[in-house]
Amino acid sequence: MRLDAKIPSGPLADKWDRHRFESKLVNPANRRRHTIIVVGTGLAGASAAASLGELGYNVLSFCIQDSPRRAHSIAAQGGINAAKNYQNDGDSIERLFYDTIKGGDYRAREANVYRLAQVSVNIIDQCVAQGVPFAREYGGQLDNRSFGGAQVSRTFYARGQTGQQLLLGAYQSLMRQVERKTVRIFPFREMLDLVVINGRARGIVCRNLVTGDIERYAADAVCLATGGYGTAYYLSTNAVGSNVTAAWRAHKRGAFFANPCFTQIHPTCIPVTGEDQSKLTLMSESLRNDGRVWVPKKPGDKRPPHEIPEDERDYYLERKYPSFGNLVPRDVASRNAKFVCDEGRGVGESGLAVYLDFRDAIERLGRDVIKARYGNLFDMYRKITDEDPYEVPMRIYPAIHYTMGGLWVDYNLMSTIPGLHVLGEANFSDHGANRLGASALMQGLADGYFIIPYTIAHYIASTPLEKVTTDHEAFAEAENNVRQRIDRLLSIKGSETPRSLHRRLGKLLWDYVGMSRNEAGLKKALEEIPKLREEFWQNVSVPGDANYVNKNLEYAGRVADYLEFAELLTIDALHRTESCGGHFREESQTPDGEALRDDERFSYVAAWEYNGVGQAPTLHEEPLVFEYVTPTQRSYK
Amino acid sequence: MKVLQSLGTTTGSKILVALTGLAMVGFLVGHLAGNLLALFGPEAFNEYSHALISNPLLIPVEIGLLAILVMHILSAVSVFVRGQRARPERYAVKKWAGGPSRKTLSSTTMIGTGILILVFLVTHLNTFKYGPYYEHPEGYRDLYRLLVEVFKEPGYVIFYVVCMVLVGMHLRHGISSAFQSLGLMAGSWTGRILRLGAALALVVGIGFALIPVVIYFFL
Amino acid sequence: MRIHLRIWRQPGPDAKGHFENYTVERVSPNMSFLEMLDTLNEDLIRRGQDPVAFDSDCREGICGTCGFVVNGRPHGPDSQTTVCQLHMRRFRDGDTITLEPWRAKAFPVLRDLVVDRSAFDRIIQAGGYTSVNVGGAPDANAIPIPKEVAEQAFDSAQCIGCGACVAACKNASAMLFTSAKVRHLALLPQGQVERTRRVLNMVARMDAEGFGPCSNEGECEAVCPKGITLDNIATLNREWWKAALKP
Repeated sequence: MRLDAKIPSGPLADKWDRHRFESKLVNPANRRRHTIIVVGTGLAGASAAASLGELGYNVLSFCIQDSPRRAHSIAAQGGINAAKNYQNDGDSIERLFYDTIKGGDYRAREANVYRLAQVSVNIIDQCVAQGVPFAREYGGQLDNRSFGGAQVSRTFYARGQTGQQLLLGAYQSLMRQVERKTVRIFPFREMLDLVVINGRARGIVCRNLVTGDIERYAADAVCLATGGYGTAYYLSTNAVGSNVTAAWRAHKRGAFFANPCFTQIHPTCIPVTGEDQSKLTLMSESLRNDGRVWVPKKPGDKRPPHEIPEDERDYYLERKYPSFGNLVPRDVASRNAKFVCDEGRGVGESGLAVYLDFRDAIERLGRDVIKARYGNLFDMYRKITDEDPYEVPMRIYPAIHYTMGGLWVDYNLMSTIPGLHVLGEANFSDHGANRLGASALMQGLADGYFIIPYTIAHYIASTPLEKVTTDHEAFAEAENNVRQRIDRLLSIKGSETPRSLHRRLGKLLWDYVGMSRNEAGLKKALEEIPKLREEFWQNVSVPGDANYVNKNLEYAGRVADYLEFAELLTIDALHRTESCGGHFREESQTPDGEALRDDERFSYVAAWEYNGVGQAPTLHEEPLVFEYVTPTQRSYK
Repeated sequence: MKVLQSLGTTTGSKILVALTGLAMVGFLVGHLAGNLLALFGPEAFNEYSHALISNPLLIPVEIGLLAILVMHILSAVSVFVRGQRARPERYAVKKWAGGPSRKTLSSTTMIGTGILILVFLVTHLNTFKYGPYYEHPEGYRDLYRLLVEVFKEPGYVIFYVVCMVLVGMHLRHGISSAFQSLGLMAGSWTGRILRLGAALALVVGIGFALIPVVIYFFL
Repeated sequence: MRIHLRIWRQPGPDAKGHFENYTVERVSPNMSFLEMLDTLNEDLIRRGQDPVAFDSDCREGICGTCGFVVNGRPHGPDSQTTVCQLHMRRFRDGDTITLEPWRAKAFPVLRDLVVDRSAFDRIIQAGGYTSVNVGGAPDANAIPIPKEVAEQAFDSAQCIGCGACVAACKNASAMLFTSAKVRHLALLPQGQVERTRRVLNMVARMDAEGFGPCSNEGECEAVCPKGITLDNIATLNREWWKAALKP
């Protein structure tokens, strides 16, 4: 199968406008006759369901939580980028486009990223109209800050809760459509299979997480907006309920999975304290603006930080990257923290942490200024660690945060299964090998508010869609499939918990497919993952039954999918022998230890086709063509 | 019509409780001011009470007060019942939430103090308004004599003082709560209204209790 | 540490519930409260017993999914802290902790500590939004909003919809939740057009869902993980009677 990204022809700046004009439309009177399923209610899913409802489609919106407002977009702290140039500091659509392409280490499609930059401006307008209380200046205009090393201030924010405010805006728009009866919401539903009829996505099979009923829903098109797969690593900054299940089951039905090895590791998280930890908490990147990162020069130096004299401290980021210092991009900061800890210079009880020290900033600016800037973060840190960052340096360590890879989609956000559209973090499209700060919210809302309403109309209008009901045998087959898997989980009655197996998988991935990867480690992981999967299916314990709220059963199903998915993640990481964005291969580095890309061999999107559990997947390459920017090697020295 | 329908909502009922409650607080303050004249001797008190009884507006005002009382009771009971219905199953353990919470013994016992105050009110009217009629030599009702007679009985004094503690408690939550229900608490005014409400409750409670105590011990 | 737990177990929405006692050994003070419950569940699962059902998702205090009553206080003893952010160092070795679900007619128990809070969604559905379709919004800076107003609106808008306010209120009232959304939108110019309808409809829906009347006690504010204040309720009351009096 040849991958066709369906990128419109013509000059970059005109592609989206031209494409919209050339797309077919659905008559307003006919829209209510078309049912669209949207799975997931994060920024992408909620905005898509709301805007499709506004257009008059019959929308069914599903989420696993008790309410659409809970999706993990809500936890995004920092902000959302938009090329508004309100600060008159030289920002433009072209600059946001360029920064995103470059930040993604030249592994994203130019046309997609340009469109993202174009619609970014509309997103802010829409959100403000919804009443999102963005930060303001005294003159009443919107405030911006610079983020993630960008040289312009283009990040809009609402204190440290931007994701929450944007999600609630989208959620409210969604609930407005529910009241108008264009959207029906189905909370506490987990999508467990995709129904494909005549080669097209025509429905889903869900489990009702309250009653345990297996439910069938038919539609003309399906949108997946089910987020990323960061919790494959067990510990991550994702919600504990985040999972790859919906995307993975779609993959098993024929949707290609693209670039799974592109995972983002965030440098400033609160370190792991013990075996029982269930999740990691992010501390906003903005802390690096004033905090200085250091470790002791001597390995194994266990003195408390204030007893380590200045000349025995190694401010390693400032030393290695004099021009960017503590503000190097996420991947560089993360990797270097790992390197110093591997040298035995990590701090804290576990030795897996580095200091982020505000002593000098407090001396220079005063405690009050620091409190005004970071007070809420300091409070959060104290709540979790019981240490006062005004007195003792923070301990931080990198953690899995975001996944750039996802289901492969074309320019219309459609996967390799016609009718199956994939939005937000669940697709692979816009961030290449590394995502810039404050761009995830932008992409989710761009996909939902401004892209899918056009492209899905074109799909519906240009596709002969025969009438399909849930009585179709494909639904019966999918339901049967789901039931068998659940019955199997319940019948094993082993002695290992899904959590402990998940924890072991996470450790495996973190050790061998984490911040720094090499061939031997990846091969080791490929040996271990199937064994762990085998153990899971022999020995997992899922007590109780399937006809009530059984959180452990839900969780076991998700872990089972991760045990299959992890193999694909590792295979992708093994095949990509270059270092690129969030994917660092030790075999591919410059003499001074920096990431080295290999554009000759790897300037493509790796889209994997499923061939069965434990079977080698088939690689399909979508070449990346750069007409407007010239790939260069990133350098932050 | 819309207004009437709206009064059936929880918010509407609370506003009704608040408005009627505040009206009665106004009555109580006037009533207290008049009654305190008893401490200045029989002439002052009888003159005042005579003026009150002989006023042709008395009956309409009494009817108005009765209507306000009935509305207060009905809406307060509806608030109570709806509150009970909203939590059919109780907590096994429930603690005061602390911090900024305004929960007090007064706030948790409003329905109880309210019912007891109603009982008191009936007794009170029966004792005084519809009590023995002593004719003063000058031809008007000698309420002062009745007052002194009643408050020389220790049992009644204790009953009266206890009831005034209940009134004080009811007002301690009631006054500021009414302002909150009417949406008149905001920002820096919140603290002041809370303190004012408590102070007024104290004044009304102590003021009314003072009369029997003074009469019993000092007359 | 060793912790004794007394947990409400209820098999389903219509079933009768009861308390059951458990003991969790080797609890570390650095554990979060939910991690301590995870540990209990691990033990139960290993022994083939049904684990205790409780809801949680982000585990960083922002999604509003978690929440139950810990020793008689929603979300536990710490102020402005969701139960997922509560840590075991707050307790002592040998403590007995009682856990109960949110109890309210409008929040039926689904299982153990999991309740159905969809009534909150329906309150928002009744008017907690501005009716703007995607596409026609004016430039974001076309509507200047004073910084102070934006900040106040934010204070209200940060409600996480966890339901602790309902759980704490003796009347199981949803006034704090409803008023936060009413105030957020009443403060902003974008919310003016629907200001009257919004407050009337949201209050009517809140009643219809079976929430009780406001007690004015402010237990809700005290347990709110986001510090939403009673000022919001005062604002709702004011907005409501102004709207009700409008011809």
